[in-house]
Formats: sequence, structure tokens, C-alpha cells
Amino acid sequence: MPVSKPNSALLILGHGSTENPDSAQPSWDHADVIAESGQFRSVHCAFWKEEPSFRQVWSMIEEEEIYVVPNFISEGYFTRQVLPRELELEGHTTHLGNRTVHYCDPVGIHATMTDLLIKRAYEIIDHGVKIEETALIIVGHGTNLNKKSTEAITDQVEAIKAKGEPFAEVLDAYMEEAPFIADWKTLTDAPTVVVVPFFIADALHSYQDIPVLLGIEKEITEAASQREIFRQNPYRFGDRTLYYSSAIGTDPSLAQVIVDQVAYFDEHYLS
Amino acid sequence: MTLAEELEDLLPANEARFFGELYLSRIEDGTFVASHRNDMEILESLSTVDSLPGLREIAKFDANNEYRPLKTAPGLKDGWKTAAASADEFLKRLDCIYPGLFATWIAYHRGTHDPTPLRDTLDRQTGMYRFAGSITDQMANEIMRDTCSPGCLRKIAWPISSESPVSRLKPGMKSIPVICTEACTFAVSEARKLVKEAYEKANPPAES
Repeated sequence: MPVSKPNSALLILGHGSTENPDSAQPSWDHADVIAESGQFRSVHCAFWKEEPSFRQVWSMIEEEEIYVVPNFISEGYFTRQVLPRELELEGHTTHLGNRTVHYCDPVGIHATMTDLLIKRAYEIIDHGVKIEETALIIVGHGTNLNKKSTEAITDQVEAIKAKGEPFAEVLDAYMEEAPFIADWKTLTDAPTVVVVPFFIADALHSYQDIPVLLGIEKEITEAASQREIFRQNPYRFGDRTLYYSSAIGTDPSLAQVIVDQVAYFDEHYLS
Repeated sequence: MTLAEELEDLLPANEARFFGELYLSRIEDGTFVASHRNDMEILESLSTVDSLPGLREIAKFDANNEYRPLKTAPGLKDGWKTAAASADEFLKRLDCIYPGLFATWIAYHRGTHDPTPLRDTLDRQTGMYRFAGSITDQMANEIMRDTCSPGCLRKIAWPISSESPVSRLKPGMKSIPVICTEACTFAVSEARKLVKEAYEKANPPAES
């Protein structure tokens, strides 16, 4: 549902990267779409590792009411600690001089993400693939440093199961903690496996690291934007077939999820 | 004044300013034009890039298609120009090449945005950067000399600590200052690296 905020600014926060040129791209793409829609007076992005930085961006925004939406997957170290600290925010609404800043939930925890993950899985598998013989694996980063990091994935896996989708199995897996995505062949014995990365961008992890862990690349490739050919599904491993999608955060529907988080803020947190 | 009005004021018709590696000009009918300063004599022959995504792509890669994570690093590609009828639109275009740089200068010049001392930036870091704050002043000077100075066009406006003296940067006659009001991710990473190296030097691993 669109929002009407003709006097407010929207600020989208992303991680960005000093190494991979594609990390910030989805945030810019979604920002351009939202700006074009005219729902906000201005739309901005800021990044942890790119420019404008979180510390620079306040000088760019001239509106007195600002909605801040983290384009992050999970609630954890970044959304709870780093972003509020860098932007000098406390709680849901912060008054900074003459500005009122509303800090919304990250996109990854919005309820519509479940349908997007399912949609993405169906989009990449070929016509004729038997869904009841297909395992869906949602892959995340995972880190032993923060339990919240895996919660976003396990919550989605449970939500997909609860929707009664006919997949043979729905599983979670991670790069850096068990169950490891590198073990996908033994995590399930379904003949067809579809892996959807629960990441914001086709960047370092989802485009370069995970394909090596899956066995579809022998070594880390160049960034997606610097290769002539994006990957082509499916991949055959003996009698198994693997499909690997692009990161969920690249889905154009994420622009609407960002706006939905603003609407959710107004309904649940606005005092 | 809004940022767009400030820009309009700094760049009246028939005038030009340098801004980092950019050459900003305004023709008689009020149209704003930006190009690489290498191309200031050949504006007529340049191809025009007017879309925001197109301009971001120009800033993202250098002439050898290498990624430019720091937009104020020297090495902006030349061979293009962008033209906008309004200051508001022109500012959006400039922000694609140098994100937030114009707004940072205006806020600093107005006195509404004070530079953050390096030690304040480093002391609030957590996670893998939590030890960055233990750099010595000598290391801080080394970062400015070896990382910031050759790697970035911005002039440093922050002091090492809140007690250190720092001179206030002034507006130029022919250029819009390109300033750094807080150490960036590269400087913070370098601080972490120097602290780690010093620690490892002082505490070498025991030989087995």
C-alpha cells in the first residue's frame, strides 16, 4: 500500500562494501523507484562502508520529519547497535534539533518477506520440476556472535512451512555456522534443491562466497557487475539438480517492503 | 536558504567553480553543467549523462573498470557531462558523483555541523574495530599522511582529539571546498590495522 508523506524524507540505510561494487546497488535501485513514486518529499540512502556515510547524511536532508528504514535482513548487531549509534538515535522516535526521526524495523523482518522467498523459489525452477520432490533451502550468513542473526532465517523457514507449500522440505543453512550450506547434499536427499539467499545484495557473500560453498564455482569469481554472464541454472551434481537464486534483496518488490515498514511504523510505533 | 539555493548562489549564470575533480559551470540561460575538470575546454563534444543511475555508474568505476569505493579518491572518469535546468536537480546529480559532499561543506560553513575529533570516532567503535581507539598520536598522523593525503581529495577538518588545534577551512574564490568532517571507514580500518600490528610486534607468538 502506498503512503503519502509529502513533507517527510525517507532514509534507506545499507551496509555497502569497500570491496564489492554491487553491495549498495539494491538500496539505490529501491530508492530511485520510491523517489519516482512521489510518496516522500525526498529519498536518500546512507551506508556503513560507502558514501554518503551514516555520519554525513544528516547534512543532506532538509525535511523535519524523517523515516529511517534499515535495508538489512535481521535485527541484530547492526540494526540494534551500529546504526542507532552512528545516527545518534534512541528508541523508535528521536528528536535531533528541529528534526523528528522515526527508526523503522529492518526490511528483512517484514511479514511479506515470506511470500517473496516463496515467489523467488518458484521463479527460478524450471517448468515441470516436481515441487514435492524439491527441497527449499533458505541460506543466511550465520555467526556464532549473534543468535538474532539466524532467527531471521529460522523464522522464515517456519513461516514457509506454516503456509503449507508443497516442498519436500524447507530448511535453513548458513555460511558460518551449522547447518552449513556447504553440506547441502547431505542436509536433504531431495533430488532437486532450490537455494534462496536471504541477503540484501548479490555481493560478496551471496554472489561470490556461497557459490563456492555450493560447488557451482571452483573459486571466488569477480563481482556480478564485472562479469559478462550472470549464472545460469540449473546445476547438475550426479542425479541431483541444484537451483541457486539471486539474493532476495534484489527483488524489485523490496521497494514496496521499504514503504511498508514506514506504514508499519505509523501503525505500531507512532506516538 | 535551502541547499539548492546555496548552490544557485555559489554558481551564478556565466560563472564556473571547481569541485574536487569536477568543473561546474552555469551558462547564460541558467543551465547548470558538470564535467570532469580535464574536459572543461571540450564541453561541447562530450556525451551527456543525465540519469542518476548513469552518473552513479561513472563514479563507481575508474577508467580501468576498477571499483572506486571512496568517491573522493582521485581517479574520477572523464569524457562525460551532465546538465540540469534547476539547482535542485543539479544537486542530485552532484550527489551521485560526490555523495553528500556539497551538503557537508554548507553545513560546516554555516556552523551547523562540527567536525568530529578522530579519537571520538575511534572510541565509539565496537566489534572488530573496538581497539582502533588505542592508536597513538604518531599513528594518527601516519594515517593522515599515508592514507588520507594520497588517497582522498578531501581536506581534513577534524582534529585528532578535542584538545588538538585545528584551523577552520575557508571558502575558495574559484572552488567549492571538498572537506572531511569525520574520519571515514578507510581511516578507521587503518587505525585498527596499525594497532593490531603494534600489538603483534610487542607480543610475538611464542615459538613452539
